[in-house]
Amino acid sequence: MAELYPSLVQCAIVAAAFKVLLFPAYAPQLACYYSFASCEGMVLRGLSLCAPDSNCLAVVDTVAEILRMDPRLPPFFAAFEWLMSQAAAYVDPAMLVVQNLGYDSWQTVYFQRATVIVTELVLVFALSRYVKSAPSWDKQAAHVASLSILLSPGLFIIDHIHFQYNGFLYGILILSIVLARKQSTLLYSGILFAILLCLKHIYLYLALAYFVYLGRFYCLDPKNVFRPRFFNIVKLGVCVLGVFGIAFGPFVQWGQLLQLKDRLFPFSRGLCHAYWAPNIWAMYSFTDRALIPLAPRLGLSVNQDALNSVTRGLVGDTSFAVLPEISSQQTFLLTFIFQLIPLVKLWFHSGPNWETFVGAVTLCGYASFLFGWHVHEKAILLIIIPFSLIALKDRRYFSAFRPLAVAGHVSLFPLLFTAAEFPLKTVYTVFWLILFLFVFDRVAPVPERPRIFVFDRLALLYPHIRHSVDSVLLAGSPTDLRIRTTTVLAPDVHEQLFRTWCCRELGWIYGGLFYRIDRFLDRKGSFRLAYN
Amino acid sequence: MAPSTPSSHRPRKKRKVPTAPGSNNNLILDIGDGKQTPAFPSSRSYGLRVRVPPMHGDFEAQRHWMEITTHLPMARWYLYDLQYWGLDYPPLTAYHSWLLGKIGSIVEPAWFALDKSRGFEDPHLKVFMRATVIASEYLIYIPAIVNFLRRYTRMQGVHAWSASIALVAILLQPATILIDHGHFQYNTVMLGLMVASLDAILAGRMLWACLFFVGALGFKQMALYYAPVMFAYLLGVCIFPRIRILRLINIAIITLAAFTLLFAPLLVAATNPEARALFATSPQPPLLQALPISLDKNTAAYAILFQLTQTIHRVLPFSRGIFEDKVANAWCAIHTFYKLHHFDVSLLQRASLGATLASIAIPCGIIFRHPRASLILPALSCVSWGFFLFSFQVHEKSVLLPLLPMTLSLAGDGGLNKENRAWVGWANVLGSWTMYPLLKREELRVPYIVMTLLWAYLMGLPPVCLETYRSRATLEDPNPQFELHLLTKLIHFAFYLAMVGWHVLEAFVPTPAGKPDIWVVLNALIGAGGFGLAYLWCMWKLITQCRQIDLQVAEEESRKKKQ
Repeated sequence: MAELYPSLVQCAIVAAAFKVLLFPAYAPQLACYYSFASCEGMVLRGLSLCAPDSNCLAVVDTVAEILRMDPRLPPFFAAFEWLMSQAAAYVDPAMLVVQNLGYDSWQTVYFQRATVIVTELVLVFALSRYVKSAPSWDKQAAHVASLSILLSPGLFIIDHIHFQYNGFLYGILILSIVLARKQSTLLYSGILFAILLCLKHIYLYLALAYFVYLGRFYCLDPKNVFRPRFFNIVKLGVCVLGVFGIAFGPFVQWGQLLQLKDRLFPFSRGLCHAYWAPNIWAMYSFTDRALIPLAPRLGLSVNQDALNSVTRGLVGDTSFAVLPEISSQQTFLLTFIFQLIPLVKLWFHSGPNWETFVGAVTLCGYASFLFGWHVHEKAILLIIIPFSLIALKDRRYFSAFRPLAVAGHVSLFPLLFTAAEFPLKTVYTVFWLILFLFVFDRVAPVPERPRIFVFDRLALLYPHIRHSVDSVLLAGSPTDLRIRTTTVLAPDVHEQLFRTWCCRELGWIYGGLFYRIDRFLDRKGSFRLAYN
Repeated sequence: MAPSTPSSHRPRKKRKVPTAPGSNNNLILDIGDGKQTPAFPSSRSYGLRVRVPPMHGDFEAQRHWMEITTHLPMARWYLYDLQYWGLDYPPLTAYHSWLLGKIGSIVEPAWFALDKSRGFEDPHLKVFMRATVIASEYLIYIPAIVNFLRRYTRMQGVHAWSASIALVAILLQPATILIDHGHFQYNTVMLGLMVASLDAILAGRMLWACLFFVGALGFKQMALYYAPVMFAYLLGVCIFPRIRILRLINIAIITLAAFTLLFAPLLVAATNPEARALFATSPQPPLLQALPISLDKNTAAYAILFQLTQTIHRVLPFSRGIFEDKVANAWCAIHTFYKLHHFDVSLLQRASLGATLASIAIPCGIIFRHPRASLILPALSCVSWGFFLFSFQVHEKSVLLPLLPMTLSLAGDGGLNKENRAWVGWANVLGSWTMYPLLKREELRVPYIVMTLLWAYLMGLPPVCLETYRSRATLEDPNPQFELHLLTKLIHFAFYLAMVGWHVLEAFVPTPAGKPDIWVVLNALIGAGGFGLAYLWCMWKLITQCRQIDLQVAEEESRKKKQ
């Protein structure tokens, strides 16, 4: 097979050049004093000051107090930041002084942004492993998919403008998924995922899929459910517990475990994040808001307390005026039910199937995103990135991926609200969508059996609807931007409409995707039967 | 017209903050003031957070022109408050500003409110202004380049794959991107019109070529660098191989008509009574004073003449020094060792006229005698190098002009062979390197580094990789004759080393006391040497290509005779 061109490394170099040009782009780091915009950069730096210190949380407390937000990252990430801070000491020692929280010399900004680019090498490595692991007939599709992840506008917006270390984290996730491809490396996949959980606990969204997959095909005999493999169980158990022990042991020692738990799982915060993630709860909140003026006519009682603070997830509880309150237990139950469907499929699959596993990972992320408690909009990458790995399986996967890619990436737009970044994010995203959806369209093979399901009909209709919706949205965005920059705390109808729109999209994509995978597996099963 | 080749910029003395003593009009190398704060914080979103008070550079100039053209009658465009960024580009720039100003005023009138908007720096305005550069580029430069390359590569029988590579290399030229999208100018409009004119020449449509070229000239007077070649070529086409009077007359008429069209709105506007009254009371431009005729100040003829001479006076600044700042050309290099400001300005003008004419005589002669479309690119680069090196009042940004035809030659037959790639790449890297002091002043260091290195990487050039210079027979290119000459390699390596070394020096070694500009001068000296070599290489290239074509023609003729 001819060498794939352009190679991952070439693309990474060109992309890195572009990202370096973005160094001075507006990162909410600088505005965190003035707005409640999430400002990871500051928090990360706050953590890097103190990581291995026993009174770490105390320092973080002060930081959080200043910033009015909680750092919510597990211990390994703190250790990672501590490593960064060791390098930072050579660049500009002043950035490590705790008192200098608002410090933003250009050295600091450049250093922090450079670390994002450098740590993204993990992603490049993981993607190259992914391409290598793909069977030869699938190499080209794998290459295209890995390029799409490397150049993803999601990572571009969140990491390189907004500022986070997602490239690095998703690199580990992909590496772990790739390692799950072979039976012999399943253990390493599990260990890597445990480490990933200790780096950022948002990956708990995907944990059940790992749990089921490893449990079924590593701890039990793949051919016979009733034959456990004890040695494997011990190996996996020791390794995973060891990882968690290293991560959380010191906190147990210091007696800070509960404090840490509160910090990592902020249930005191509302159902919705301050910026609504486009999920079910955004629709729910929106319905609630819409019902307020109608309530007297419909004879519904309105909770007066909620009127002043409707769905402002920032401060304390979300409260609804008309509709019943949602508790965290309810959201968990819903999430669990919807995660269960693909997991059952995964469990009863005869023999380990990597694609089913990736599908289950995607769907677990999907369910958590749609029904979870206090979901952040950035979590959409948890769906898009694993899904990219199997989106080119055949055209039906791709047709589910297409609207997801559009709606998911566009839903990230409100993260960046300054004028200068507006053209950057839109142009880049539109460019990426055109390029990759076009290429995907050419690369994705025709499914073995053509089938038009009701959702396919919707997907066929989708581009036409989207044009009209997009034009409305684009007309709305500048106003949206202006409102957000001037009155940050004011409720904004534009945005909520927008969120609701994204949610509706994502909702039925979930249904469509699940149905597809379900049917696909059925078909495989029936083939196998016919074969035997 | 040769000696007074104007520069593309407005002199920095007009800046309000008096931090740059003597950087400009006088010929003293500037002393003191190592620190100049960024003019316009730029390059896409660059410097949006720069806290230094803005000094209102080219960004403000362009915005100011949009402001005055949209609010003032045409008669006052070239007269209004000249001390504050008076309009000093030809009419097409003014019309362009007017159009953009009108569009911008629809979005937000406050951006261009007369007088009140000076120094306005709203983030939305920045986005708008940057978008206008990109839009102008996409409307003129890029279609022109694409069309030109399509025709040129077809003519030369170049493979589509190579043509695409050449297209990317041309569009990613670091110097052009840095100046237009970083420093903020609309050079690509002028360059695009020039390329459109070249495209018309390739297509054999001489009249369109004239029209586009007048457009380029009417957008930026810098296009005069190309004028001798265009003139010689168009004249040559009418004379060789046989004299075609009708064509000559057509070309002359079209050119005149184009110029008339260009100035018509301005001149028509000059005839209304208000404008006449204004001109009657305004001080006469020196050019008008120099005219032997005297007219009644209230006649329409006087108004027209006044407007015309005033425009030309603004566009062609005769009274400035021989060079501005430190630019990598011959005069600045000589000045370093032998101070030129002892001489009279008129003497220097004459000297530069003579030197420029001497430097362009050979290429112009060749293109006149052999008016072939395939020779026009090397001739253009050679002549514009000549202008850049020897003419009066050159600005470092003018290096874009010789670089354009040189880079376009990548799309020619054998344009991507090692020799051409090495030389073109080297000249481009050197070109953006000589602009470093300018870019540094405007806090464009990071874009400079990134764009230049990225381009070098994509072209396979040092300092990023040695691909072009490695001599080994590959499968595609087993022919050793395409290897670079040892001398070329030595020269190029010496220059690359000097450039890298210079950056190290500039970054880490403080300048000796009393000579704060020593690194900048060193930069200009090395640059001047390099550009001199580039000039010679282009000349040599032109001559060899010309001889090759002659030989081919002669062979074909003898073959025909034998038959």
